[in-house]
Amino acid sequence: MRIIKILLLLAIIPTLMLGAISCQTLQSLIGPQAKLEVIPAETFLSPALFKKPVTFKGSGFAPKEMISVEMVLPPGMKMKGLKEGEKDVGIAIGNADEKGNFTAAMKPIATLNWFFQVGWTPLLKPNFKEARPIPPGVYKINATGLDSDKVATSSLKIVPPPKKKK
Amino acid sequence: MRKQSVIFLLMVLAICVGLVTLSSTSFAKEVSYLSLADYTGPIAGLNVPADMGLEDYIKDINSKGGVDGVKIKFIGIDTRYDVARAVSAYKRYRRTPRLLVVNSISTGIGKAVARLIERDKRLQIVPGDGEFQAHIQRTFIWGPAYQDAFAATLDWIMDDWKAKGNSGAPVVGYLSWDNPYGREHLRGGKEYAEKLGIKFLPPEFFPPGTLKHDVYLTRLAKAGANYIHAGGVDPTPTNVIRDAYALGITKKIQMTTDYWGPTALGIGVHAKALEGTVITSFYQRGDDSRNNPFVADLWKKHRGSMEKFNEVYGMGMSWGMTYVAGLTAALKAVGYDNLKPDDMYKAYQGITGLDKHGIQGVCAYSPTSRRGSLEVKIYRVKNGKIVPITDWRKAPDAVSLHKF
Repeated sequence: MRIIKILLLLAIIPTLMLGAISCQTLQSLIGPQAKLEVIPAETFLSPALFKKPVTFKGSGFAPKEMISVEMVLPPGMKMKGLKEGEKDVGIAIGNADEKGNFTAAMKPIATLNWFFQVGWTPLLKPNFKEARPIPPGVYKINATGLDSDKVATSSLKIVPPPKKKK
Repeated sequence: MRKQSVIFLLMVLAICVGLVTLSSTSFAKEVSYLSLADYTGPIAGLNVPADMGLEDYIKDINSKGGVDGVKIKFIGIDTRYDVARAVSAYKRYRRTPRLLVVNSISTGIGKAVARLIERDKRLQIVPGDGEFQAHIQRTFIWGPAYQDAFAATLDWIMDDWKAKGNSGAPVVGYLSWDNPYGREHLRGGKEYAEKLGIKFLPPEFFPPGTLKHDVYLTRLAKAGANYIHAGGVDPTPTNVIRDAYALGITKKIQMTTDYWGPTALGIGVHAKALEGTVITSFYQRGDDSRNNPFVADLWKKHRGSMEKFNEVYGMGMSWGMTYVAGLTAALKAVGYDNLKPDDMYKAYQGITGLDKHGIQGVCAYSPTSRRGSLEVKIYRVKNGKIVPITDWRKAPDAVSLHKF
C-alpha cells in the first residue's frame, strides 16, 4: 500500500510542478523583470493627446517580441465596443528591440475609441457628439510580451480637465 | 489503515473518472472562429452585414448538428478598426482550444496579427493585400488581390475605350485613402497599366474621413483623365463620385471603383450621382446577390424582409463555406481529438475548387495560392441598380509584376 502512495505522490508532484512552471506569473519572474513606464503618468483628456499621445516605455522583455499594451477597466465600467465581462482593452502595440526595450505611442484611433469613446459617421469621421470620455481615475496599464508572456504593470491617472479661466 | 487507503484511492479514481466524463460528454465537440471585426467603428457599415452572413451560415450548420458532430463557435470582437485592440483580443483568445481561423477585418490588423499567426501555427484570412500572395505564409486573402482586381478594371477600361471607337490607350487617374490599403492596388497595378500602354497619372491620396474630394478630382480632370478609379471602402467611393458628379466630371470621365465600391449603402443615398459607375467585384453585387436563392433564403430565414439587405452578407457566407470545407477536410485527416489549428491550415490549402454557390468564383486556395478566388465580375450602376455588364472573368496576376 505504501508503494502505491509513493507512486501516487510521484505522479502528482511532477504534475503540480509542471503546472507551476507554466504559470505566467512564475514565468515572468524568470530572467530580468519587465518594467513599464507611462508617459505622462498623469493627464487629462484634450485634443492635445493627438499631437502628443500617451506613450509607453518598457524594458526587460524578450528581444524582438511584440508587446500588447492594455488598459484594465475598473469593475463595472462600460466601454463602447467591449462586451460585458471584458476586463481590458488594447490601447497600443510595440516591438521590443534586441535588448528587450520598447516604446509605443497610442495611435489617434486608439485615443478616439478608448479615451474619448467617440462615435463614427458614415464619412469615417469621429463623431464627438456621441463621445463618452472615460471618467477621471487611476487606470492600471499592463504591457505583455507576446512571445515571453512577461507582464509589466504601471498606471495612468486621468484627471479632470483644468477649469477654464473666466 | 488499509481501509483508509482504499477509500483514498477510490476518491482519486472517482475524481479522475469525473473529469474524463466531463470533458468527453458534458462539453460538446466544438471549434472556434475568431472575427477581429469592426461593429461600431469606421467600416461597421460593411462589416456588420458581412459577419451577419457568416453568423447565420454557422447557425444553420450548427442547427443541423455541426460538421461531423462538431459545432462551430463564432467569436466576434469589435476592434473599432484599431490594430492595438485587435492584437490584444488575439492575445486573449490565442490559447482557445481549437481556435482554427482568425478573420482580420483590415490590412493593418492582418499585418500586425500575421506574426503571431505564424508563431501559433494557425491561419488567418484578410481582405486583399497582394503581399500575402507574394510571400506565401499562413495568411489567406478573401478573393483576388487588390492589384489583380485593379488590373481587371484596367482591362475593362481598355475594352471600353476601344468600343467607343478610340485608338491608342486612355489616360487613367487614381485616388484613394492615404494608407497601406490605398497604395496596395498600385503595387503591381501600376506595372500592369504600363504593360497595357495606359498613361497613368500621379495618384492622389487623401486621409480617410475627408469631407470633400474636389481638389483631387479637379487635379486629375485637369491632367486629362479619361477614367478615374476611386478607392476606399463604401461609402467613401460613393462620396468621391458624389463630388465628381457635383463638379460635372462624370459627364466626361468614366468613374470606376474596386470591390469595396458602392453597395446598397451608397446607392440608397446617392443613386443619381452614381449612375454609370463601374464596379469591379469578386463577390456578387446588387440584384445578382439579391436573386441568389442560396443567399436570399438564408437572409429571409434569419433577418426577414430583404429591405435592409446588403450584398456583403453573401461574402460573409462565403467565409463560412470555406471554414466548413476546411473543417470537414481537417476532421477527415486527423479526427477531432487530434485536431490542431495547423491541420486547418493544411486543409485550407486543399480545398481548391470549392464551389461558393455563385457568390464568388471557386476557391483558389492551394499550397501556392492564397487567393480566395481568381475571378471578378464588372458591374455598372444603371437606373439606381447594380447590374452586371460582364460575366465572371479571371483577373490578371498583377501581384507577380511587383517586387515586394
